[in-house]
Amino acid sequence: VYQVFESVAKKYDVMNDSMTLGIHRVWKDILVHKMNPSPGTVLLDVAGGTGDIAFRFINYVRSLRERQLQRKLKRHQNLSWQEISESYQEDKFKSLGDSQVVVCDINKEMLKVGKEKAQHLGYAEGLSWVLGNAEELPFDDDKFDVYTIAFGIRNVTRIDLALEEAYRVLKPGGRFLCLEFSHVSNPILSRLYDLYSFQVIPVLGEVIAGDWKAYQYLVESIRRFPPQEELKAMIEDAGFLKVDYQNLNSGVVAIHSGFKL
Amino acid sequence: VKCQLYPPQRALQASAVLRRVSDEQKKEPLASSSQQQFDSHPTDHQPEKEPQGPRPSYTGQGGQESEDYESEEQLQHRILTAALEFVPEHGWTAEAIAEGAKALGLSVAAAGMFHSDGSELILHFVSQCNTKLSELLEQEQKLVQLGKAEKKPTDQFLRDAVEARLRMLIPYIEKWPQAVSILLLPHNIPSSLNLLTSMIDDIWQYAGDQSTDFNWYTRRAVLTGIYNTTELVMMQDSSPDFEETWRFLENRVADAMNMGNTANQVQSTGEAVVQGLMGAAVTVSN
Repeated sequence: VYQVFESVAKKYDVMNDSMTLGIHRVWKDILVHKMNPSPGTVLLDVAGGTGDIAFRFINYVRSLRERQLQRKLKRHQNLSWQEISESYQEDKFKSLGDSQVVVCDINKEMLKVGKEKAQHLGYAEGLSWVLGNAEELPFDDDKFDVYTIAFGIRNVTRIDLALEEAYRVLKPGGRFLCLEFSHVSNPILSRLYDLYSFQVIPVLGEVIAGDWKAYQYLVESIRRFPPQEELKAMIEDAGFLKVDYQNLNSGVVAIHSGFKL
Repeated sequence: VKCQLYPPQRALQASAVLRRVSDEQKKEPLASSSQQQFDSHPTDHQPEKEPQGPRPSYTGQGGQESEDYESEEQLQHRILTAALEFVPEHGWTAEAIAEGAKALGLSVAAAGMFHSDGSELILHFVSQCNTKLSELLEQEQKLVQLGKAEKKPTDQFLRDAVEARLRMLIPYIEKWPQAVSILLLPHNIPSSLNLLTSMIDDIWQYAGDQSTDFNWYTRRAVLTGIYNTTELVMMQDSSPDFEETWRFLENRVADAMNMGNTANQVQSTGEAVVQGLMGAAVTVSN
């Protein structure tokens, strides 16, 4: 798995766009919307390599924070000039309002690409990059508000260990969110999807990234991944409660959510 | 006692947050653990209509003793109750729920358990208010039965009941318009309508209404109308202690009472008119 991603890192984003025809952006947006993070949330994004989820999270929190500040200012219409200037100063330093993202990935190359992207797009505050294995996270217990893993969990060898680690590092009340390819139940769509996956994707892989085998692996790993209900049961086994899933595009992708209560 | 079945694979060991119900109960002197205890819990909210005995929530394997663990529902109720404190500042939103969760020591992400528009918070609040109203009316009725108080005339009773219920909105009155608009959203209408009708029903029951004919519907419709209009008036009332609202309420209730009388009068006048006409017809035919 490591080598697959090493070779794939640089072209990862381009391939994502071409394979999913750009829909993966929508899927990731939906994930962050579902999360609905409030300012002050600490997010751990595992297998988040190139930072897609992390950047979206930061944008979301920033705009929420702006709205909050606007509302506060509207209420304090009668402050003296002194107080107003003070409030501006203290708020400027906290444009994220204590929110933080930690991006963890097992692969150095992916992290490198992510860091470059962050610099390029201007994300600096509240973002950290850590090298780590999802089955054995280098973090203490009860540290994070939200744990996300987008299109990463199917690459983990022992999914149950990853889920247990997720449970461990989450604070009580914390939320587990998993965005992953899943089972299409509709038979017609399923046929079309299979056709697309096995015929088109490896070809794209060869043409754009020069790597047929890696994308063959990708499609096969999607097929081997447990379907929605099974994954839900596994998440429950790790101790999460109120586990639920939402199918996107009738099962091509599913978002699973669970809470540590 | 409600028995909930959960899949046995769930081995809940040390659930971080779901506290043992027995711990909660140890705090006050337990007279009878099997009776409903929500009367003695002014600060800690218990779900209405559910007996407070230990709930068999999860059965873990290996003989894990988990009978006393609080269920997810109870936890959700606790979070929503805690969130009510933050409503004046944040409005009826997911933010208020997040603050409530934080106040209980949970992560703010726990607010993700609820709808992102704050509907559950409002419904929870309304349901809580209705329960409080029922308790109040129950107590008053007991006093009357024990002979310690006079039975109020219907219009006075209705006025007092509606006033008591609307007064519960006072701490949140600034953000209440927002709540009303959320309750009118299509996905909330079944629940909010349900709560409204059961509250109105309650009030009439305690007022001693035992009609089984069409009157039942008219009485409820009338009182619902009175309640809703008074609520609207209250939202834009700026008089001291909402005097205008109570005066409005008084007038509406009086109107409703008169309507009943007028209906009777109309009926009797109608009968008299018909009799007169019959007499005239008979006279003419002769």
